[in-house]
Amino acid sequence: MLDAHGIGKRRPVGVLITWVILLVFSVWTLFPIFWAAVTSFKQPGESYTTTFIPYRQFKPTLHAWKDAFVTTRDRTLRSLLNSIIIATLSSAAVLLLGAFAGYSLARFIYRKWKNKDIAFFILSQRMFPPVAVLIPYFLIMQNLRLLDNITSIIIVHTAMNLPLAVWLMLDFFADLPKDLEEAAMIDGCSHFRAFVSIALPIAAPGLVAVYVLAFILSWNEFIFVIVFGYSKAMTLPVMIAGSLSVRGLDFWKVASLSIMAIIPPVILAMVFSRYLVRGLTMGAVKE
Amino acid sequence: MATLSSRDRVKWAFLLPALVYLMLLAIFPLIWTLTLSFTRWNANTMARPQFIGLENFRYFLFEDPRFWFDLRFTAMYVAVAVSVELVLGLLLASLLSQSFRGKNFFRVIFLIPMACPPIAVAFLWRMMLHPDIGVINSMLQGIGLRAVKWTTSAAVAPFTIMMVDIWEWTPFMFLALLAALQSLPTELYQSAAVDGATSWQMFRGITLPLITPMIITVSLIRAIDAFKLFELVFGITGAGPGGATESLSYYVYLIGMKWFKLGRGSAISWLFVILLIGLALILISRFRRERTQ
Repeated sequence: MLDAHGIGKRRPVGVLITWVILLVFSVWTLFPIFWAAVTSFKQPGESYTTTFIPYRQFKPTLHAWKDAFVTTRDRTLRSLLNSIIIATLSSAAVLLLGAFAGYSLARFIYRKWKNKDIAFFILSQRMFPPVAVLIPYFLIMQNLRLLDNITSIIIVHTAMNLPLAVWLMLDFFADLPKDLEEAAMIDGCSHFRAFVSIALPIAAPGLVAVYVLAFILSWNEFIFVIVFGYSKAMTLPVMIAGSLSVRGLDFWKVASLSIMAIIPPVILAMVFSRYLVRGLTMGAVKE
Repeated sequence: MATLSSRDRVKWAFLLPALVYLMLLAIFPLIWTLTLSFTRWNANTMARPQFIGLENFRYFLFEDPRFWFDLRFTAMYVAVAVSVELVLGLLLASLLSQSFRGKNFFRVIFLIPMACPPIAVAFLWRMMLHPDIGVINSMLQGIGLRAVKWTTSAAVAPFTIMMVDIWEWTPFMFLALLAALQSLPTELYQSAAVDGATSWQMFRGITLPLITPMIITVSLIRAIDAFKLFELVFGITGAGPGGATESLSYYVYLIGMKWFKLGRGSAISWLFVILLIGLALILISRFRRERTQ
Protein backbone atom coordinates (compact mmCIF):
# COMPACT_ATOMS: atom_id res chain seq x y z
CA MET A 1 0.00 0.00 0.00
CA LEU A 2 2.86 2.34 0.68
CA ASP A 3 4.74 1.59 -2.48
CA ALA A 4 4.50 4.79 -4.37
CA HIS A 5 4.92 3.65 -7.88
CA GLY A 6 2.72 0.72 -8.60
CA ILE A 7 5.44 -1.78 -7.98
CA GLY A 8 3.85 -4.96 -6.86
CA LYS A 9 0.21 -5.85 -7.10
CA ARG A 10 -2.42 -3.77 -5.41
CA ARG A 11 -4.62 -6.08 -3.48
CA PRO A 12 -8.34 -5.29 -3.69
CA VAL A 13 -8.35 -4.81 0.06
CA GLY A 14 -5.75 -2.09 -0.33
CA VAL A 15 -7.82 -0.31 -2.95
CA LEU A 16 -10.90 -0.54 -0.78
CA ILE A 17 -9.14 0.85 2.26
CA THR A 18 -7.78 3.70 0.20
CA TRP A 19 -11.20 4.62 -1.09
CA VAL A 20 -12.74 4.40 2.38
CA ILE A 21 -10.10 6.68 3.82
CA LEU A 22 -10.55 9.11 0.94
CA LEU A 23 -14.29 9.14 1.41
CA VAL A 24 -14.04 9.70 5.14
CA PHE A 25 -11.58 12.52 4.64
CA SER A 26 -13.76 14.08 1.95
CA VAL A 27 -16.82 14.00 4.18
CA TRP A 28 -14.80 15.54 7.02
CA THR A 29 -13.51 18.21 4.63
CA LEU A 30 -16.85 19.12 3.09
CA PHE A 31 -19.08 18.76 6.13
CA PRO A 32 -18.91 22.34 7.48
CA ILE A 33 -19.82 23.79 4.12
CA PHE A 34 -22.56 21.26 3.62
CA TRP A 35 -23.87 22.09 7.07
CA ALA A 36 -23.78 25.82 6.40
CA ALA A 37 -25.76 25.31 3.20
CA VAL A 38 -28.38 23.16 4.94
CA THR A 39 -28.69 25.56 7.88
CA SER A 40 -29.15 28.51 5.60
CA PHE A 41 -32.34 26.96 4.28
CA LYS A 42 -33.86 26.22 7.65
CA GLN A 43 -36.23 28.28 9.76
CA PRO A 44 -34.27 30.32 12.32
CA GLY A 45 -35.80 28.36 15.13
CA GLU A 46 -34.59 25.11 13.58
CA SER A 47 -30.97 26.20 13.06
CA TYR A 48 -29.73 23.80 15.71
CA THR A 49 -31.53 20.67 14.68
CA THR A 50 -29.61 17.78 13.25
CA THR A 51 -31.93 17.22 10.33
CA PHE A 52 -30.46 17.62 6.89
CA ILE A 53 -32.71 16.22 4.21
CA PRO A 54 -34.96 18.96 2.87
CA TYR A 55 -38.66 18.18 2.48
CA ARG A 56 -38.28 14.80 4.17
CA GLN A 57 -36.94 16.02 7.50
CA PHE A 58 -37.50 19.74 7.54
CA LYS A 59 -39.29 22.34 5.54
CA PRO A 60 -36.79 24.43 3.62
CA THR A 61 -37.26 28.17 3.64
CA LEU A 62 -35.63 31.18 2.11
CA HIS A 63 -35.86 33.17 5.33
CA ALA A 64 -32.14 33.52 5.87
CA TRP A 65 -31.56 34.51 2.28
CA LYS A 66 -34.44 36.98 2.27
CA ASP A 67 -33.02 38.51 5.41
CA ALA A 68 -29.66 38.97 3.76
CA PHE A 69 -30.94 40.36 0.48
CA VAL A 70 -34.06 42.19 1.55
CA THR A 71 -33.99 43.16 5.21
CA THR A 72 -30.33 44.08 5.37
CA ARG A 73 -30.07 44.61 1.65
CA ASP A 74 -27.96 47.73 1.80
CA ARG A 75 -25.32 46.24 4.00
CA THR A 76 -25.24 42.93 2.17
CA LEU A 77 -24.93 44.47 -1.25
CA ARG A 78 -22.38 46.97 -0.03
CA SER A 79 -20.24 44.24 1.51
CA LEU A 80 -20.51 42.11 -1.59
CA LEU A 81 -19.69 44.98 -3.91
CA ASN A 82 -16.77 46.13 -1.78
CA SER A 83 -15.32 42.64 -1.63
CA ILE A 84 -15.55 42.36 -5.40
CA ILE A 85 -14.08 45.78 -6.12
CA ILE A 86 -11.26 45.48 -3.64
CA ALA A 87 -10.23 42.01 -4.78
CA THR A 88 -10.50 42.83 -8.47
CA LEU A 89 -8.56 46.09 -8.33
CA SER A 90 -5.88 45.14 -5.83
CA SER A 91 -5.14 41.92 -7.73
CA ALA A 92 -4.87 43.88 -10.96
CA ALA A 93 -2.37 46.25 -9.35
CA VAL A 94 -0.49 43.30 -7.93
CA LEU A 95 -0.33 41.67 -11.34
CA LEU A 96 0.85 44.83 -13.05
CA LEU A 97 3.60 45.64 -10.58
CA GLY A 98 4.49 42.01 -10.03
CA ALA A 99 4.75 40.96 -13.66
CA PHE A 100 7.17 43.75 -14.51
CA ALA A 101 9.27 43.17 -11.42
CA GLY A 102 9.28 39.39 -11.77
CA TYR A 103 10.30 39.61 -15.40
CA SER A 104 13.10 42.02 -14.63
CA LEU A 105 14.49 39.77 -11.94
CA ALA A 106 14.31 36.81 -14.28
CA ARG A 107 15.89 38.44 -17.31
CA PHE A 108 18.07 41.39 -16.37
CA ILE A 109 21.23 41.38 -14.32
CA TYR A 110 21.49 43.77 -11.44
CA ARG A 111 24.99 44.47 -10.34
CA LYS A 112 24.69 46.68 -7.31
CA TRP A 113 22.36 44.41 -5.42
CA LYS A 114 22.33 40.94 -6.84
CA ASN A 115 19.15 39.53 -8.35
CA LYS A 116 18.94 36.79 -5.79
CA ASP A 117 19.24 39.19 -2.88
CA ILE A 118 16.53 41.46 -4.23
CA ALA A 119 14.26 38.49 -4.84
CA PHE A 120 14.70 37.07 -1.37
CA PHE A 121 14.32 40.48 0.18
CA ILE A 122 10.97 40.82 -1.55
CA LEU A 123 9.93 37.29 -0.60
CA SER A 124 10.71 37.93 3.05
CA GLN A 125 7.97 40.58 3.17
CA ARG A 126 5.44 37.82 2.86
CA MET A 127 6.50 36.37 6.16
CA PHE A 128 5.79 39.32 8.39
CA PRO A 129 2.65 39.21 10.51
CA PRO A 130 0.00 41.67 9.30
CA VAL A 131 -0.58 42.90 12.87
CA ALA A 132 2.95 44.25 12.92
CA VAL A 133 2.11 46.97 10.42
CA LEU A 134 -1.41 47.72 11.65
CA ILE A 135 -0.40 50.74 13.72
CA PRO A 136 1.63 52.60 11.08
CA TYR A 137 -0.95 51.76 8.41
CA PHE A 138 -3.62 53.16 10.66
CA LEU A 139 -1.68 56.37 11.21
CA ILE A 140 -0.96 56.73 7.49
CA MET A 141 -4.56 56.15 6.48
CA GLN A 142 -5.80 58.46 9.19
CA ASN A 143 -3.52 61.21 7.92
CA LEU A 144 -4.68 60.62 4.35
CA ARG A 145 -8.29 60.62 5.59
CA LEU A 146 -8.73 57.22 4.01
CA LEU A 147 -10.11 55.38 6.99
CA ASP A 148 -13.26 53.43 6.16
CA ASN A 149 -12.55 53.99 2.48
CA ILE A 150 -12.04 51.09 0.08
CA THR A 151 -9.06 52.88 -1.46
CA SER A 152 -7.05 52.29 1.69
CA ILE A 153 -7.90 48.61 1.65
CA ILE A 154 -6.97 48.30 -2.02
CA ILE A 155 -3.61 49.92 -1.28
CA VAL A 156 -2.99 47.64 1.68
CA HIS A 157 -4.03 44.45 -0.10
CA THR A 158 -1.78 45.28 -3.02
CA ALA A 159 1.14 45.60 -0.62
CA MET A 160 0.12 42.38 1.06
CA ASN A 161 0.07 40.26 -2.09
CA LEU A 162 2.87 41.90 -4.05
CA PRO A 163 5.79 39.94 -2.54
CA LEU A 164 4.31 36.56 -3.38
CA ALA A 165 3.30 37.78 -6.83
CA VAL A 166 6.79 39.01 -7.68
CA TRP A 167 8.27 35.74 -6.46
CA LEU A 168 5.83 33.62 -8.49
CA MET A 169 6.23 35.73 -11.62
CA LEU A 170 9.98 35.45 -11.28
CA ASP A 171 9.52 31.70 -11.05
CA PHE A 172 7.31 31.56 -14.14
CA PHE A 173 9.46 33.80 -16.29
CA ALA A 174 12.64 32.03 -15.26
CA ASP A 175 11.15 28.81 -16.58
CA LEU A 176 10.50 30.33 -19.98
CA PRO A 177 13.27 29.88 -22.57
CA LYS A 178 14.82 33.15 -23.62
CA ASP A 179 15.19 32.23 -27.29
CA LEU A 180 12.08 33.92 -28.64
CA GLU A 181 12.75 37.17 -26.87
CA GLU A 182 16.40 37.19 -27.86
CA ALA A 183 15.49 36.52 -31.47
CA ALA A 184 13.03 39.38 -31.42
CA MET A 185 15.56 41.76 -29.90
CA ILE A 186 18.15 40.88 -32.49
CA ASP A 187 15.55 41.99 -34.99
CA GLY A 188 15.44 45.35 -33.26
CA CYS A 189 12.68 44.86 -30.73
CA SER A 190 12.95 46.81 -27.48
CA HIS A 191 12.94 45.08 -24.11
CA PHE A 192 9.52 46.46 -23.41
CA ARG A 193 8.11 45.17 -26.70
CA ALA A 194 9.70 41.78 -26.16
CA PHE A 195 8.14 41.62 -22.73
CA VAL A 196 4.67 42.68 -23.80
CA SER A 197 4.40 40.91 -27.14
CA ILE A 198 6.30 37.71 -26.49
CA ALA A 199 6.90 36.91 -22.83
CA LEU A 200 3.53 37.95 -21.45
CA PRO A 201 1.38 35.92 -23.85
CA ILE A 202 3.42 32.78 -23.25
CA ALA A 203 3.29 33.32 -19.50
CA ALA A 204 -0.46 33.90 -19.60
CA PRO A 205 -1.28 30.83 -17.47
CA GLY A 206 1.11 32.11 -14.83
CA LEU A 207 -0.45 35.58 -14.96
CA VAL A 208 -3.90 34.13 -14.50
CA ALA A 209 -2.70 31.98 -11.63
CA VAL A 210 -1.15 34.93 -9.81
CA TYR A 211 -4.26 37.04 -10.34
CA VAL A 212 -6.55 34.32 -9.04
CA LEU A 213 -4.37 33.67 -6.02
CA ALA A 214 -4.20 37.38 -5.18
CA PHE A 215 -7.97 37.65 -5.65
CA ILE A 216 -8.64 34.79 -3.26
CA LEU A 217 -6.21 36.13 -0.66
CA SER A 218 -7.72 39.60 -0.86
CA TRP A 219 -11.31 38.32 -0.73
CA ASN A 220 -10.54 36.24 2.36
CA GLU A 221 -8.51 38.84 4.20
CA PHE A 222 -9.76 39.83 7.64
CA ILE A 223 -7.44 41.78 9.91
CA PHE A 224 -6.92 44.77 7.66
CA VAL A 225 -10.54 45.00 6.63
CA ILE A 226 -11.93 45.07 10.13
CA VAL A 227 -9.51 47.85 11.03
CA PHE A 228 -9.89 49.90 7.85
CA GLY A 229 -13.38 49.01 6.68
CA TYR A 230 -15.76 48.99 9.57
CA SER A 231 -18.75 50.67 7.97
CA LYS A 232 -18.79 52.17 4.49
CA ALA A 233 -15.91 50.07 3.29
CA MET A 234 -17.24 46.88 4.82
CA THR A 235 -16.48 43.58 3.10
CA LEU A 236 -18.17 40.20 3.45
CA PRO A 237 -15.78 38.92 6.14
CA VAL A 238 -16.52 42.04 8.19
CA MET A 239 -20.24 41.53 7.78
CA ILE A 240 -19.95 37.95 8.96
CA ALA A 241 -18.03 39.06 12.01
CA GLY A 242 -20.66 41.72 12.60
CA SER A 243 -23.40 39.14 12.90
CA LEU A 244 -22.09 38.48 16.38
CA SER A 245 -24.57 40.38 18.50
CA VAL A 246 -25.14 40.73 22.23
CA ARG A 247 -27.42 37.69 22.17
CA GLY A 248 -24.73 35.58 20.58
CA LEU A 249 -24.62 34.29 17.04
CA ASP A 250 -27.59 33.99 14.77
CA PHE A 251 -26.53 30.77 13.12
CA TRP A 252 -28.86 31.08 10.19
CA LYS A 253 -27.45 34.52 9.40
CA VAL A 254 -23.90 33.26 9.70
CA ALA A 255 -24.76 30.29 7.50
CA SER A 256 -26.13 32.28 4.59
CA LEU A 257 -23.45 34.98 4.75
CA SER A 258 -20.72 32.38 4.98
CA ILE A 259 -22.01 30.54 1.93
CA MET A 260 -21.98 33.82 0.05
CA ALA A 261 -18.43 34.52 1.16
CA ILE A 262 -17.22 30.99 0.46
CA ILE A 263 -18.59 30.41 -3.01
CA PRO A 264 -16.47 32.79 -5.13
CA PRO A 265 -13.01 31.87 -3.83
CA VAL A 266 -13.88 28.18 -3.77
CA ILE A 267 -15.08 28.22 -7.35
CA LEU A 268 -11.96 30.09 -8.40
CA ALA A 269 -9.80 27.61 -6.53
CA MET A 270 -11.54 24.66 -8.12
CA VAL A 271 -11.21 26.04 -11.62
CA PHE A 272 -7.56 26.99 -11.22
CA SER A 273 -6.58 24.18 -8.89
CA ARG A 274 -3.51 23.24 -10.84
CA TYR A 275 -1.74 26.50 -10.12
CA LEU A 276 -2.78 27.03 -6.55
CA VAL A 277 -0.53 24.46 -4.95
CA ARG A 278 2.47 25.99 -6.68
CA GLY A 279 1.37 29.43 -5.56
CA LEU A 280 0.69 28.50 -1.97
CA THR A 281 4.02 26.77 -1.53
CA MET A 282 5.82 29.70 -3.14
CA GLY A 283 7.00 27.59 -6.00
CA ALA A 284 8.51 24.87 -3.85
CA VAL A 285 6.08 22.43 -5.41
CA LYS A 286 5.54 22.47 -9.14
CA GLU A 287 2.84 20.15 -10.37
CA MET B 1 24.31 57.85 -12.39
CA ALA B 2 25.33 60.32 -15.05
CA THR B 3 24.49 58.28 -18.09
CA LEU B 4 22.20 55.32 -17.82
CA SER B 5 22.34 53.19 -20.89
CA SER B 6 18.94 52.40 -22.30
CA ARG B 7 19.29 48.89 -20.98
CA ASP B 8 19.89 50.19 -17.49
CA ARG B 9 16.92 52.51 -17.65
CA VAL B 10 14.65 49.71 -18.77
CA LYS B 11 16.05 47.44 -16.10
CA TRP B 12 15.17 49.78 -13.31
CA ALA B 13 11.93 50.97 -14.89
CA PHE B 14 10.66 47.41 -14.73
CA LEU B 15 11.72 46.79 -11.16
CA LEU B 16 11.39 50.11 -9.42
CA PRO B 17 7.59 50.43 -9.21
CA ALA B 18 7.22 47.22 -7.24
CA LEU B 19 10.29 47.92 -5.15
CA VAL B 20 9.24 51.46 -4.31
CA TYR B 21 5.73 50.30 -3.46
CA LEU B 22 7.11 47.74 -1.05
CA MET B 23 9.55 50.22 0.45
CA LEU B 24 6.75 52.65 1.16
CA LEU B 25 4.24 50.13 2.41
CA ALA B 26 6.30 47.40 3.97
CA ILE B 27 9.73 48.66 5.01
CA PHE B 28 8.89 52.21 5.99
CA PRO B 29 5.97 51.14 8.23
CA LEU B 30 8.15 48.59 9.95
CA ILE B 31 10.76 51.25 10.67
CA TRP B 32 8.05 53.59 11.89
CA THR B 33 6.81 50.84 14.19
CA LEU B 34 10.31 50.45 15.52
CA THR B 35 10.57 54.16 16.37
CA LEU B 36 7.14 54.13 17.98
CA SER B 37 8.09 51.14 20.08
CA PHE B 38 10.42 53.36 22.07
CA THR B 39 7.59 55.70 22.98
CA ARG B 40 4.58 55.88 25.18
CA TRP B 41 1.53 56.94 23.21
CA ASN B 42 -1.92 56.35 24.47
CA ALA B 43 -3.69 57.74 21.42
CA ASN B 44 -6.95 58.18 23.28
CA THR B 45 -5.50 60.71 25.68
CA MET B 46 -2.21 61.93 24.24
CA ALA B 47 -1.72 63.99 21.12
CA ARG B 48 1.88 63.00 20.55
CA PRO B 49 4.16 60.15 21.52
CA GLN B 50 6.53 60.47 24.44
CA PHE B 51 9.98 58.94 24.35
CA ILE B 52 10.56 56.33 27.04
CA GLY B 53 13.40 54.25 25.71
CA LEU B 54 13.30 50.50 26.24
CA GLU B 55 10.52 50.67 28.82
CA ASN B 56 7.94 48.91 26.61
CA PHE B 57 10.26 46.02 25.87
CA ARG B 58 11.15 45.70 29.51
CA TYR B 59 7.45 45.57 30.31
CA PHE B 60 6.64 42.78 27.90
CA LEU B 61 9.72 40.69 28.50
CA PHE B 62 9.90 40.96 32.28
CA GLU B 63 6.63 42.21 33.67
CA ASP B 64 3.73 41.09 31.52
CA PRO B 65 2.63 37.48 32.11
CA ARG B 66 0.05 37.78 29.37
CA PHE B 67 2.71 38.19 26.70
CA TRP B 68 4.47 35.02 27.75
CA PHE B 69 1.23 33.11 28.11
CA ASP B 70 0.10 34.08 24.63
CA LEU B 71 3.52 33.28 23.22
CA ARG B 72 3.48 29.84 24.82
CA PHE B 73 -0.05 29.17 23.65
CA THR B 74 0.72 30.28 20.10
CA ALA B 75 3.94 28.28 19.99
CA MET B 76 2.25 25.17 21.31
CA TYR B 77 -0.56 25.59 18.84
CA VAL B 78 1.92 25.89 15.96
CA ALA B 79 3.89 22.86 17.08
CA VAL B 80 0.89 20.60 17.53
CA ALA B 81 -1.16 21.74 14.56
CA VAL B 82 1.70 21.62 12.06
CA SER B 83 2.88 18.22 13.31
CA VAL B 84 -0.55 16.68 13.02
CA GLU B 85 -1.08 18.23 9.61
CA LEU B 86 2.25 16.85 8.50
CA VAL B 87 1.58 13.33 9.70
CA LEU B 88 -1.94 13.23 8.29
CA GLY B 89 -0.83 14.81 5.05
CA LEU B 90 2.00 12.34 4.65
CA LEU B 91 -0.24 9.41 5.43
CA LEU B 92 -2.82 10.48 2.89
CA ALA B 93 -0.22 11.32 0.27
CA SER B 94 1.43 7.93 0.66
CA LEU B 95 -1.89 6.20 0.22
CA LEU B 96 -2.75 8.09 -2.89
CA SER B 97 0.50 8.56 -4.71
CA GLN B 98 -0.24 5.84 -7.16
CA SER B 99 -2.17 7.25 -10.03
CA PHE B 100 -5.72 6.13 -9.85
CA ARG B 101 -8.91 7.37 -11.30
CA GLY B 102 -10.41 10.32 -9.54
CA LYS B 103 -7.16 11.78 -8.25
CA ASN B 104 -7.84 15.17 -9.78
CA PHE B 105 -11.34 15.14 -8.42
CA PHE B 106 -10.06 14.70 -4.89
CA ARG B 107 -7.38 17.29 -5.37
CA VAL B 108 -10.08 19.82 -6.22
CA ILE B 109 -12.18 18.80 -3.22
CA PHE B 110 -9.24 19.07 -0.86
CA LEU B 111 -8.45 22.60 -1.97
CA ILE B 112 -11.76 23.84 -0.65
CA PRO B 113 -10.89 24.38 3.03
CA MET B 114 -7.87 26.50 2.10
CA ALA B 115 -9.90 28.62 -0.30
CA CYS B 116 -12.56 29.53 2.28
CA PRO B 117 -12.29 32.82 4.13
CA PRO B 118 -10.77 31.89 7.52
CA ILE B 119 -13.25 34.05 9.41
CA ALA B 120 -16.18 32.25 7.76
CA VAL B 121 -14.54 28.94 8.66
CA ALA B 122 -14.15 30.16 12.24
CA PHE B 123 -17.78 31.19 12.63
CA LEU B 124 -19.09 28.05 10.95
CA TRP B 125 -17.12 25.82 13.28
CA ARG B 126 -18.14 27.94 16.26
CA MET B 127 -21.72 27.31 15.25
CA MET B 128 -21.19 23.56 14.85
CA LEU B 129 -19.15 23.22 18.02
CA HIS B 130 -21.57 25.07 20.29
CA PRO B 131 -21.43 23.02 23.52
CA ASP B 132 -25.20 23.00 24.05
CA ILE B 133 -26.87 23.18 20.69
CA GLY B 134 -24.14 22.56 18.17
CA VAL B 135 -24.58 19.81 15.65
CA ILE B 136 -21.29 18.11 16.53
CA ASN B 137 -22.27 17.56 20.14
CA SER B 138 -25.74 16.50 19.05
CA MET B 139 -24.23 13.86 16.81
CA LEU B 140 -21.84 12.70 19.51
CA GLN B 141 -24.70 12.32 21.94
CA GLY B 142 -26.70 10.59 19.27
CA ILE B 143 -24.17 7.78 19.17
CA GLY B 144 -23.93 7.57 22.92
CA LEU B 145 -20.89 9.72 23.66
CA ARG B 146 -20.78 12.68 26.00
CA ALA B 147 -20.99 16.23 24.77
CA VAL B 148 -17.63 18.03 24.70
CA LYS B 149 -17.14 21.53 26.06
CA TRP B 150 -15.45 22.65 22.86
CA THR B 151 -15.40 26.35 23.51
CA THR B 152 -16.30 26.69 27.16
CA SER B 153 -13.53 24.68 28.75
CA ALA B 154 -10.13 26.32 29.13
CA ALA B 155 -8.55 22.89 28.81
CA VAL B 156 -10.37 21.86 25.63
CA ALA B 157 -10.59 25.18 23.81
CA PRO B 158 -6.93 25.26 22.68
CA PHE B 159 -7.39 21.87 21.08
CA THR B 160 -10.59 23.05 19.43
CA ILE B 161 -8.64 25.79 17.70
CA MET B 162 -5.98 23.31 16.66
CA MET B 163 -8.60 20.95 15.34
CA VAL B 164 -10.10 23.58 13.07
CA ASP B 165 -6.67 24.58 11.85
CA ILE B 166 -5.95 20.94 11.09
CA TRP B 167 -9.22 20.75 9.18
CA GLU B 168 -8.25 23.78 7.18
CA TRP B 169 -4.61 23.04 6.37
CA THR B 170 -4.06 19.28 6.27
CA PRO B 171 -5.06 19.39 2.59
CA PHE B 172 -2.19 21.80 1.99
CA MET B 173 0.33 19.34 3.38
CA PHE B 174 -1.35 16.51 1.55
CA LEU B 175 -1.23 18.23 -1.84
CA ALA B 176 2.34 19.44 -1.46
CA LEU B 177 3.63 16.05 -0.30
CA LEU B 178 1.64 14.25 -2.97
CA ALA B 179 3.36 16.29 -5.64
CA ALA B 180 6.70 15.59 -4.00
CA LEU B 181 6.05 11.85 -3.85
CA GLN B 182 5.03 11.74 -7.46
CA SER B 183 8.22 13.40 -8.57
CA LEU B 184 10.36 10.63 -7.15
CA PRO B 185 12.11 8.47 -9.73
CA THR B 186 10.65 5.00 -10.20
CA GLU B 187 13.95 3.26 -10.93
CA LEU B 188 14.97 3.32 -7.28
CA TYR B 189 11.83 1.48 -6.31
CA GLN B 190 12.21 -1.00 -9.13
CA SER B 191 15.71 -1.96 -8.11
CA ALA B 192 14.66 -2.13 -4.47
CA ALA B 193 11.82 -4.43 -5.43
CA VAL B 194 14.26 -6.62 -7.32
CA ASP B 195 16.36 -6.80 -4.17
CA GLY B 196 13.30 -7.96 -2.29
CA ALA B 197 12.57 -4.89 -0.17
CA THR B 198 9.19 -4.64 1.53
CA SER B 199 6.88 -1.66 1.14
CA TRP B 200 7.81 -0.39 4.56
CA GLN B 201 11.53 -0.76 3.89
CA MET B 202 11.15 1.12 0.65
CA PHE B 203 9.25 3.87 2.43
CA ARG B 204 11.80 4.25 5.17
CA GLY B 205 14.88 3.82 3.05
CA ILE B 206 13.96 5.57 -0.17
CA THR B 207 10.87 7.74 0.13
CA LEU B 208 11.44 9.34 3.48
CA PRO B 209 15.03 10.50 2.92
CA LEU B 210 14.14 11.86 -0.50
CA ILE B 211 11.15 13.89 0.58
CA THR B 212 12.58 15.10 3.87
CA PRO B 213 13.73 18.41 2.32
CA MET B 214 10.22 19.04 1.04
CA ILE B 215 8.76 18.10 4.41
CA ILE B 216 10.95 20.64 6.14
CA THR B 217 10.16 23.36 3.63
CA VAL B 218 6.38 23.02 3.70
CA SER B 219 6.41 22.62 7.47
CA LEU B 220 8.28 25.91 7.77
CA ILE B 221 5.89 27.64 5.38
CA ARG B 222 2.95 26.34 7.36
CA ALA B 223 4.55 27.18 10.73
CA ILE B 224 5.26 30.78 9.75
CA ASP B 225 1.68 31.22 8.60
CA ALA B 226 0.31 29.46 11.67
CA PHE B 227 2.07 31.86 14.01
CA LYS B 228 -0.08 34.65 12.67
CA LEU B 229 -3.15 32.95 14.18
CA PHE B 230 -5.94 35.48 14.40
CA GLU B 231 -9.20 34.68 12.64
CA LEU B 232 -9.78 31.36 14.38
CA VAL B 233 -9.27 32.95 17.78
CA PHE B 234 -11.49 35.89 16.90
CA GLY B 235 -14.27 33.76 15.50
CA ILE B 236 -14.36 30.56 17.50
CA THR B 237 -13.53 31.53 21.05
CA GLY B 238 -13.00 35.28 21.14
CA ALA B 239 -9.74 34.40 22.90
CA GLY B 240 -11.75 32.72 25.63
CA PRO B 241 -12.64 31.21 27.87
CA GLY B 242 -10.92 33.75 30.06
CA GLY B 243 -8.08 34.39 27.62
CA ALA B 244 -7.14 30.73 27.41
CA THR B 245 -6.91 30.82 23.62
CA GLU B 246 -5.49 34.26 23.08
CA SER B 247 -2.93 34.25 20.32
CA LEU B 248 -0.06 36.70 20.01
CA SER B 249 -1.65 38.40 17.00
CA TYR B 250 -4.88 38.85 18.90
CA TYR B 251 -3.09 40.48 21.84
CA VAL B 252 -1.20 42.82 19.51
CA TYR B 253 -4.50 43.74 17.86
CA LEU B 254 -6.11 44.45 21.25
CA ILE B 255 -3.27 46.65 22.45
CA GLY B 256 -2.91 48.64 19.26
CA MET B 257 -6.37 48.83 17.76
CA LYS B 258 -8.73 48.40 20.68
CA TRP B 259 -6.90 50.05 23.53
CA PHE B 260 -4.95 52.40 21.26
CA LYS B 261 -1.73 52.07 23.24
CA LEU B 262 0.33 52.73 20.15
CA GLY B 263 3.73 52.70 21.84
CA ARG B 264 3.16 49.38 23.59
CA GLY B 265 1.50 47.93 20.51
CA SER B 266 4.51 48.82 18.38
CA ALA B 267 6.91 47.23 20.83
CA ILE B 268 5.06 43.95 20.98
CA SER B 269 4.70 44.02 17.19
CA TRP B 270 8.45 44.13 16.88
CA LEU B 271 8.94 41.34 19.36
CA PHE B 272 6.59 39.33 17.20
CA VAL B 273 8.49 40.26 14.04
CA ILE B 274 11.80 39.26 15.59
CA LEU B 275 10.28 35.95 16.51
CA LEU B 276 9.17 35.27 12.95
CA ILE B 277 12.39 36.59 11.41
CA GLY B 278 14.17 33.61 12.91
CA LEU B 279 11.86 31.14 11.18
CA ALA B 280 11.76 33.17 8.00
CA LEU B 281 15.53 33.28 7.71
CA ILE B 282 15.72 29.52 7.98
CA LEU B 283 13.11 29.11 5.26
CA ILE B 284 14.76 31.62 2.98
CA SER B 285 18.17 30.06 3.37
CA ARG B 286 16.62 26.76 2.28
CA PHE B 287 15.19 28.42 -0.82
CA ARG B 288 18.58 29.92 -1.56
CA ARG B 289 20.31 26.58 -1.36
CA GLU B 290 17.70 24.98 -3.55
CA ARG B 291 18.10 27.64 -6.19
CA THR B 292 21.84 27.33 -6.42
CA GLN B 293 21.66 23.61 -6.96
